[in-house]
Formats: sequence, C-alpha cells, structure tokens
Amino acid sequence: MMSRRVTLIGGVLLAAACVERVSAPGDCPAFCPSGQIEIVDTVLTSIISRDSTFRGYVTALHAPLLLAADLPGFVDGRAIFRINGFGQRLIVSTADTGAILGADSARLQLTVARRDTGAHNLSLAFYRLPITVDSTTTFAGLAGPFTDSLVKRVNIDTLLARPGHKDTLTGDSVVVDTVNNVLVLALKFDTAAARYVGTDSGTVAYGVRVSADSLASIAITRSTLSWQWYLRVDSIGTPVARKPGSLGAAFSSFVFDPPPPPPDSTLAVGGVPSARSFLRVAFPHFIRDSSQIIRGTLTLVPVAPVQGAPSDSFVVEAHTVFTDVGAKSPIIVDATRTDTAIIHIGPRDTAQIEVTNLLQFWASDTTRATTLVLRAKQEAASFSLIRFYPSVAQAFRPALRITFVRRFPFGAP
Amino acid sequence: MNRPDGRTGGRAVATAVLAAVFLTANPPDRLTAQDSQFGIRGLGTPGRWESVRSRSTGGAFGPFDPLSPLSEAGLADVPQLTATAMQTASYRDAVVAGTTSALRATRFPLLNVAGRVHRRLAIAAGFTTYLDRSWDVTQRDSVLLRGTLERYTDEVTSDGSIADLRLAAASRLSRRIAVGAGLHLLSGSTRETAERRFDDTTFHTVQQFAEVRYSGIGVSGSLLLGVAPGLSVTGWARADNRLRATVADTTSAETDLPRMAGGGILLAPSPSVRFAASVAWRGWARAGAGAFDTWSWSAGTEIGSGRMPLRFGVRGGQMPFGPGPTAPTEFATAAGTGRAFAQGRALLDVGVERLERRGGGLTERVWTALVGLTVRP
Repeated sequence: MMSRRVTLIGGVLLAAACVERVSAPGDCPAFCPSGQIEIVDTVLTSIISRDSTFRGYVTALHAPLLLAADLPGFVDGRAIFRINGFGQRLIVSTADTGAILGADSARLQLTVARRDTGAHNLSLAFYRLPITVDSTTTFAGLAGPFTDSLVKRVNIDTLLARPGHKDTLTGDSVVVDTVNNVLVLALKFDTAAARYVGTDSGTVAYGVRVSADSLASIAITRSTLSWQWYLRVDSIGTPVARKPGSLGAAFSSFVFDPPPPPPDSTLAVGGVPSARSFLRVAFPHFIRDSSQIIRGTLTLVPVAPVQGAPSDSFVVEAHTVFTDVGAKSPIIVDATRTDTAIIHIGPRDTAQIEVTNLLQFWASDTTRATTLVLRAKQEAASFSLIRFYPSVAQAFRPALRITFVRRFPFGAP
Repeated sequence: MNRPDGRTGGRAVATAVLAAVFLTANPPDRLTAQDSQFGIRGLGTPGRWESVRSRSTGGAFGPFDPLSPLSEAGLADVPQLTATAMQTASYRDAVVAGTTSALRATRFPLLNVAGRVHRRLAIAAGFTTYLDRSWDVTQRDSVLLRGTLERYTDEVTSDGSIADLRLAAASRLSRRIAVGAGLHLLSGSTRETAERRFDDTTFHTVQQFAEVRYSGIGVSGSLLLGVAPGLSVTGWARADNRLRATVADTTSAETDLPRMAGGGILLAPSPSVRFAASVAWRGWARAGAGAFDTWSWSAGTEIGSGRMPLRFGVRGGQMPFGPGPTAPTEFATAAGTGRAFAQGRALLDVGVERLERRGGGLTERVWTALVGLTVRP
C-alpha cells in the first residue's frame, strides 16, 4: 500500500516537474509580435558648431618619442640629446678616486620604436653637438654642428643583414624585438667619437639625423636611451680601465624645420607641438531622450592629404570633457567613453570616427557638456598633422551620422 | 451562519477574502496556462478556466464544476470549504515552415477557494489565467544600413500573463434552480525585452526592456437548472470591458475584451456514471485585427464515484488569434483520474491531455500533464 502511494506521488511529481523552454525561431510576420525594432539612420549636418583648435598640449621636450625624419617637402627633424658625465675624477677603489684620463670608447643603446619598413638604406648619422643644448635650442641654431660634426654613421639595413645582426668591425649590433616590434641598437662610439673632456665634466651631446632612399622617418624611445662609458682612470700613476654605470640622457628632445603653421580656422589634430580640436554638439533631444543609439559616426573632411611616411599614421581619439572651459577643458580619459580612428598618411579620404560610446554616454547623463575633443592618441609622437574643414565651411562641415532605435512598442497587442 | 454540520460560514468567508486580498495584491508571475505561438501576435493565449477534474473530461464538466471558475452557479452545491490548486507541465512541438521547435513550460494556472457562508449562499475567490503572454521569438534577418546589408539576430521576449481574479457567489433558489454571479478583476504584468544583435559589432546591440502592467474588469452570471433527476443544464455569460496596458505609468494600449456565453448539459444515469457536454462562444473579434470570434465544444464522461474515478473527454474549437482570414482550430483528447486521501479531506487529481492546433501554416502538438490538489479542511 505504502509503495503504491510512493509510486503514485513520485509519478505525479515527475510529470509535473518544473520545466521551461519557450524560445523558438520566429516565422515572421505571421507568428511574431506586431511591434518591430525600428532603426533610423540619419545624417545631422548642422548640430556641430563653435569648433576651434588649440596647439601646444605636448611639446617636443615632453614627447615620449624622439623624432627624426628627412621627408623633403614636409619636415626635416633631428633628435638631440645630452649625456652628463661623471666629472674629472672617478672612484677606482673603496678609498681612492683617480683622474679620468679619457675614454677608450662608449656604447649608445637606443630603441627604434617606429620606422617605415618600406624605407631602404635606412641610416642614422650622429653629430657631436654643443653640450649647451637645451629646450631653447632651435633647428637653425644647430645647423653648423649638423653640417661639420659627423662622428658616426650606421646603416641599419646593412646591420640587420649581417650574421647575428652584429658588425664585428664597428662593434655595432641590433636586436629585433618581435614582441614589441622595435629595434634595439647598441652602437659603439670609438675614442674619437666619444671624447671624455674632463673640463666639461665629461658631458657630451649628440644629434641624430636619419636618411634613407625614401620614407626616412623614425621614432626613438626617449626613456630607453642609455650611454655606457669605457674610461681610462689614473690609479696612482697607472692607467686602469673602468666601466662605470650606464647613464641616461640628461636632456633629450628633437628639433625640426619648418616649424608648425599657426592655428587657423581649420580643425587640426596631431603634429608637434600637439594640436587638439574642440567640437560643440547640439545633441538632439528626440534622439537623446527617447531612443537608443547603436552607432554614431563623426564625419570630417580633410583640407589636404596628411603628409609623412606611412609609418607616421596615427590614431585620433575622440573624447568628451568634464566641463567645457575652452582649451583647458578637462578630458574624460576612460576607455569605455573614448572612440578612435586611424589617420593614414597620404590619401585625402573623409575621416570617419566612431563616436557611439560618447553619444551613449551623453544620452545616459544629460548633465554632461556635449563637447567633443579630438586629439592624437600619442600626442607629439609624429610630425604628421591632419586638418579638417570647420563648421563654417558649409559644404565640407563636420557631420554626425547617427543610427538609433526608437522605443519598442511594448504592450501593444 | 450555522451550517448543518455545525461549522460556521465565517471561516469560509475569512479564507476567501484573505485569498482574494493576497492574490489581488501580488498575483504570481507563473500563473499562466498553456502557451501557444498563436498568441504571440495577438493579446495572448486564453487560459482554460477549468480544474484538473474538468480538464480531464475535455472541459465538458467545467460549467458544472464548483471548483472551475468558468461558471458560478455550480458553486451553490459546494458542500463545505474547499480549496484547489493546479499545476501543468506541457511539452509542445511547434512546426512551422518545416522547422520543429520543442518547447516546454510549467504553469500554475488555477487556485480557487470556495465555501458556504449561508444555507443558500456560497462564495468563492481565486485566480486563473485569462491570457498567457510568455514567449520568446528569435529571428535572423538583414537590413540595409549605411549602404550595406547588415545581418542581425532579433530576440523578442515576453514573460508573464494576465490573471483573472474572481470573486463569485452562488445561491440555490430552489431544488431545481441555482444562480451565480462573479466579479472579475483582470490584473497581471509581463516583462518584455527586445534585443537585436548585429553580426557587424560596429553597430551596438539593441537592448530594450519594459514591464507592462495590465488591468481590466469583467462580470459574469450563470444559471443551473435541474431538468429531471440526473439531468441538468446550465448557461453562463460573461462580459469584460477593456484591457489596459501601461508602461511606466503611461497607457500604451487599450483593447476591447470579448463578451462570451456558453452552456452545458450533464447526464448522470447512475451515481457512478456521468456524461457531460458543453459549448461556448467568445467574441474575441472585438480585440482588433487578427482576432476572431470563436466556438468551442467538449464532451466527456466520469465513471466511478468512489475513491478513484476515471475521466475521459474530447474538445475542439477555434483559437482567437492567428494569421490569415480564418481562426486557427484546435482539438484535444484528455484522460485522468483522482485519488482521495485523509478520509476524503484531500484529493489528488491527475490527467493528461493531447492537443493539436492548426492554422496559418503552423501546427502545434502538445502533451500536457495535469496535477491538481484539493483540500477540504
């Protein structure tokens, strides 16, 4: 009797066990909801106004990269750096110091963060510069040293072609870092090229020019620049060799010619010193309040093709601001609220920057200033500069293309 | 309010009122009945206002069953405070355009409490499903956007239902005549979502959702006549006003609800054999385009009056919503039994129903397991 009841109750529970699966492919429109997701795609040409450009956010002195380029008709850029020495004496033992007699050689290590792989016979030429180089040094002021003070030249392509990427004659070598996609150069400067002058406290300064058959443009990582002296030191009348610790650059920057043009009515982004453009957007209420934005694209028409080597292509970021106070508006730096586009060198194509994240941000917080800031992702890391037509140029003014979805008719039969 | 058995009707009143208040304040989300793809494009899938006992006879005993909220007059013969609840588990194959979708759902479509408050007056309160609106539709399609054909996947879902909260009363006016009336509050909600995912992720995913609340009101009345010993007939009618859908306190739709009427006949040639048949008309065409007036019929029998009767039945009719110029049709067979426990104070009813719906190129075949528990404290 008991077992029959248990069987009965068990069977009932099994039959009525909770199950749920209601998802099925729709055969529309017959067996689909009457309401549909309605998408609208519209180009808004007159909602951007009061746009402006400001320059000087990041200068050559503060750029993370040292630029060197020889692009006729565009720019001639040269990296410069100064290494402060150890003075006139160096520790030779735990208790004694000795006069530095001179240098046998020195080794410069630098990282080429960017180069154009299409450039052939890419060479670096090192020039001895006055040790007085500083942030006020100009391109014209170094014309002389860059003409008559060549101390070393190295052909990177030749070095890369050698076994082990080493030149046993010159002592130069190169390591190809395929992970970070950079070249790490270790260049030997002989006694003539690396003169340790005690009266100058051993300070040396050099400039770097780059040349190639074409597309001569490189970027050197500022932070990894290091200099290793191999010195001769007097130790109680006997010269001894000493290898002190390596030194970083006390000063590094780059100079270039021609200087950047002054800001005008166009919208400039990039270059050195870096330029940013501000666009004020009158975000339509009917989109902001009752729609869901699924794509927004900022369309900008370049005034002229972007100049430079292909490797100088750069990324433009679109940000919004905490508050719009003009040139010094604080930017909201947040990856989820930043949109980007790559600006390629050469073609004068219309630039399209996806700004969906920003528009959605504005829609979610209507108290925010609806101002777009365009800047290079790595400011002052490329000589290349793009100029767009401003809103006053009626035919080529910036436009915003927005794809949005109207409110779904929930509750409709 | 003393009854012949010495119990007072106040207990039944208190229980009924408490149940009504509780259910009105917080109707359960899963009190829906059997879903159908035919209800997606319309207001939903109408529930079946029948207990497991009635459902197992194809619904034929529904107009006479005091625990089925179809008709009120049958309440007049409820002997004592009685509460019943029902659970269903349905396994549904929807075949459209050569594609079969296997769907399943568990529902709690009925809870009813009835009791006698006076020698001539019985009342009942409870809920049942008025319209089920639980579905999930996915669709692959494409749209021309910015000059490119963009492929996407849509998923539109609705989860919830509209409950019929009924407060009913019935009285036996004479040995042959009983009448009943009911007030129906329609209340419920659905959580609805609409999502579109583009293959091209440049377009962000569309995700919208809303909680839609529904409300309405209706009245019903019924008459039960004892024509001869062992032979009864009944008739019922009901009118609901409008179903108001609100989203965020804004009315998004108002839809006219049907008037409906029906009747049945019950023949009991012996205490252990009962036959019944019923018919009903519902004026769903008022609900707008794509809705139809429907007829439905049923016939069934219950054999055995002891602790374990056997029940059989068939039913057929039309569905109120569907594509095309004519209403979809449905046909079902059902069988079941029951078992009394605790000296008859608890009844476990079980049943199984096989249902087929057709219309507009869609065929649905459903197995439904029915479980009901009735308590007479």
